Parts: sequence; structure tokens; C-alpha cells
Amino acid sequence: MIYDKPVFKPGGDRYMLIEFGDELNLALNFTAHGLGDAISQSGLKAVIESAPCFASLLLHYEPDLISFADLRREMMALIDTLGSSAEIELPSRLFYFPTCYLDPWTKACVEDYSAKITPKKWDAEYVAEINGLSGPDQLVRVHSGTEYWVASLGFWPGLPFLMPLDPRSRLTAPKYNPPRTWTPQGTVGMGGAASAIYPVATPGGYQIFARIPIPIWDPERRFPEFEHSICLFKPGDRIKFVPCSVEEFNQTEAQVAAGTYVYNVVGYQKFSVRQYSDWLATVDASKRF
Amino acid sequence: MIDVVVPGLETSVQDFPGRIGFWNQGFPPSGPFDSWSFRLANLLVGNPAGAAGLECQYVGPTLKFTQAAVIAVTGADMTATLDGTPVPLWQSVAVKADQVLKMGPAKSATRAYIAIAGGIDTVPWLGSRSTFHKAGVGGLAGSALKKGSQIPVAYATGTPGRSVKPQCRPAFSSTKQWQIEVVPGPDDDWIDAAGQARFLDSDWKLSGKSDRTGFRLDGPQWTFTSKAYDKLPENGSEPSNIIDHGYPLGAINLAGQTPIILVSDGPSMGGFINPYTVPSAAFWKLGQSRPGDVYRFKAVSVDEAQALRRALDALCSENSLA
Repeated sequence: MIYDKPVFKPGGDRYMLIEFGDELNLALNFTAHGLGDAISQSGLKAVIESAPCFASLLLHYEPDLISFADLRREMMALIDTLGSSAEIELPSRLFYFPTCYLDPWTKACVEDYSAKITPKKWDAEYVAEINGLSGPDQLVRVHSGTEYWVASLGFWPGLPFLMPLDPRSRLTAPKYNPPRTWTPQGTVGMGGAASAIYPVATPGGYQIFARIPIPIWDPERRFPEFEHSICLFKPGDRIKFVPCSVEEFNQTEAQVAAGTYVYNVVGYQKFSVRQYSDWLATVDASKRF
Repeated sequence: MIDVVVPGLETSVQDFPGRIGFWNQGFPPSGPFDSWSFRLANLLVGNPAGAAGLECQYVGPTLKFTQAAVIAVTGADMTATLDGTPVPLWQSVAVKADQVLKMGPAKSATRAYIAIAGGIDTVPWLGSRSTFHKAGVGGLAGSALKKGSQIPVAYATGTPGRSVKPQCRPAFSSTKQWQIEVVPGPDDDWIDAAGQARFLDSDWKLSGKSDRTGFRLDGPQWTFTSKAYDKLPENGSEPSNIIDHGYPLGAINLAGQTPIILVSDGPSMGGFINPYTVPSAAFWKLGQSRPGDVYRFKAVSVDEAQALRRALDALCSENSLA
């Protein structure tokens, strides 16, 4: 649901978490980013930084400059100035990634977890099963059947938190218990109703069943896409996973290593919330690809 | 330059408060675990409290000074010597050119700090010299010191013979037991009353599976309120699963049944709940503990946590020096 009033929660002596709702909904993500932008424009010195996510915004503040109660009041006032997101149109880049679904690397990672930490069904079979799909092959069709919205960056530098824009591709899954201690670089996975790409080998909690061979963060800035930031994405970008074979994955990985890979990204489109909402109303979300 | 003769277990360049302002891209602050000892080391040698220095973990380095300098060693006692002569902790000391500072394993606590007058002069990365090991950025070539590394220093004059008043130094536990303050929230309402009481009344052992991103704790099971069960599927079905959201640094992040304290190089976001948060004024205790040590948590309010922070900041000042 979308809350009538945002909920303000403390995080120790210097953080405030503002929750706008408890569902995955593009409007909530726009509110979180809208408040983040409004804070930046307000010049409020007491806020050191903010981190918007799907349905919430985390503030890091300077307690010597403002109390929790006063910060809450300031935030309520700013939230009241935010307009509706219904008419927002914003430039949105679209990235295409060759994606090796049901790949040997994430499968080996799950097997390693099963052997060393706790026995677990292969993630692709498990996610298909709990979502009522016929099996891993349909999982590939469903998961790759949509564009994904980059709702925020976090967890690890440059990691995109993704929301499927087509409701027919919406899947849900629990997160690992306990989490993995490692995940192969470039792994695509999902947890809750969100998907993500792991920029480097890190611990993780999402169900994993695919991998891309393309860097999404690059401290050495080998490719022109990293000229302005070492993180490839920014919120409001979109991603399309294009299923590919292991051979194509390996070829692309070799191109990346040689520095000859060309990122497949289009930069001429705008995302219109109005058009998206109109289209959403015509889609039967109960159907699957 | 300072030549690294022996690097120690994991000696790294850090500054305070670290790499701030990039949480929304997923960059953690890094920085020293025990900023109390770190800041006092800098003040002893006349540096700004946050200037870049060295954090030594478990076993300290052996360093050869190619130029005369004024240094201070604080934090855990790693039996530092200068050309064989013991170096007093919590004191500024003159080092002559070609002298060798040798440190060993920590006798108690875990982390020692070395400040050099003028500060370490590596190239800042995203505004900070702190090392973020796992991503290979910051510090000296993005990693801990290596044998043969050369540490650049922006030499400045310092005053030897200054010391930190004994009552202004952190008191490290000698019993392997630590009392750590926590502020309930942001997600304490997901834990039931019995679970909250159990958290505060139980011993939590720091697991060996801990690193600069997270301190894993071993202890009893968690129990939850209806909030953890009656929720939309996009949260994830496990009780500890929530829609991905920003994590406070210091959060006690409940991944399944495993609590993980998110420390200096921790993740900025994720989909597990954070029932409690360790306030900044208690981080030094995390930094000076080691796997096998036992934590007891004590709930404090936001106001109390902020008062502790102000008290700690006041201690990290010139007034603490003699």
C-alpha cells in the first residue's frame, strides 16, 4: 500500500528512514527520488546525503545541526511541496545486455552453497515453482520479457535495484537464509519482487539464475560509458536482458577483455509516466509469457 | 616516504570520516573502525583529527622512515619499538631518518593507529584517502600495505612529548566482553516483545565470518511480529525480508536468522530488516573486539545516542592532550 502519511524511523544517532509505502510501485519510487532532489535543492546543510530506494528514502544527517524531531518537520514540509508524479516525463536510457540464463556459473555457485552452507534447490527451478511457472525455460521467457526500471543504486557501488515495468514479468521470491558469502561477477538475480545485477563478486541474498559478461562499474574507466561516473547506471535508466548462449557470453567477455566491446545503449527516448500508466491499464497482469 | 618492510596483517591508509556523500551510489565511507583512537593519534602530532593515517589490524607493520618525522601510536598495544626501544602509546614521538618502527601482534584489543605529522599524502579517491579493500579503491593502490610499498607523507613539524590524558583514552575490555549501545529501529516493530527481550538479554558472539563489510553474530533465534508475516509478496516471504531500502551504517541487519552489524565498508541498501542500529559513538568498541568476543547490547534512545556522540567528539579534541 501507499501510506497516507510517510513513516519516519530512526537509524541510530545519525540516520532517518522515511517510508512512503510497502509495495513496489513506480509512483513511490518517484516520490523517494523527488524528495531526494528537493532536499538537494533546499540547501539544507543538516542533511549530509540521502539514498532513495523503491519506496523509501534514507537520510544521513548531522545531529549537531538538527534534532530528529526538527528534521522530521522539515521533511514533512518538503514532502508537501512534491507534485504528483503522474505528469513526469524524463530522459531514460535503455541498455541491452546479452544475458546467459540458466548459466553454469551461477548454478555452480548455488551447488557450492548447498554443499557448504545449507542444501538448496537450484534457484531457477525454485523461483519457477513458487511462481507457478512450468519450469526454468518459462522463467527465462518471463524474466527476459520486460524492460527493467533502475529504481536506485546501492548495496555495492553501481549495483542497480530493478523493477520490471511489464506486470506480466512480475515474479516474487524469498531472499537466501542465510545469505551467500559470494556471487559471481555479473550475476543477475531477484529477491522480493526486485531484480539486480551484481557488479563484482560479493556476498548476496537474491535467487540467482543468469549472468551478463559486461562491466557495470569500472574504476579504471576503460569504456566511454564511464566518462562521467564509474557506475554505469543512474536511476531512471532502463535495462533489457536479451537471452544468449554460453558461446555468445564467452565471445562478449573476450571483447570486453580486449576493450573492443561496444555498449548497446539507446539514448533518444523519454519515459512518460502518463503513457506508461495508460498502457499498464490495458495489460492483463495475470497473463504470463 | 615511509618504506614498508613488513606490511602486518592488514595495515591500510584511512581518514576520518571517510568517503562521505556516495551512499546513493553504493559507496561506503570506509575509514578507521576506532575513530576515537585514530583522531587522538592525529591530534597528538598536530594534524587535523581526520587526516590520513594507518590502521593496523591484529598484527602491526614494520616501517622504515626515510625522513625525520613526528609520529604517534594509539589504540591496541602492538609492542611498538623504534630501533628496538619501546615506543610509548598515546604519545607523540620524534623519529629520525632511517629509524625503523616495528610492531607485533596486538596484546589486547585489535586495532592500532599510526599518525604522522603532516598526514599521509596518497591521492584522494572520491574525496577521501580511505582504503576500500573489497572494491580495490582509495588508500595506497586500493589495498592494504604490501612489502616494499612506499607511503607518501606530506611532512609537517610536530611536537614530540605530547600525550593523551589517561582519562581521555578509550578503555578496552580485557575480559572479551563488551557492552554495545544500540538504538531500536528502523525495523524494531518487526520483532516481537520476546524477541526484543531475548536480543537485549543474550550473549552474542562475534563470528569468525566477519570482515570490514559486516560483523556476523552467533546467538539465539529471532521471533517476529505479524508485520514480518502479513506482508505483500514483493517483500520476500522469509520473516526478515523487506522491500529493499537504504541501510544505516551500524545497522544490525537480520539476514534470515543471522544478525550482521553493517560496519565501515558495509552495503548501503538491501532487502533485510534492521531491527537495531549501533550508534556512531559505540563503533570503537566494535573495532577493538575480535572474533570470539561476546557482545551484550544496551538499548539507548536517539537522544542518548546523540549525547554519547557529542561526548566522544569532545574527547577527540586538544583538551584531551597534556
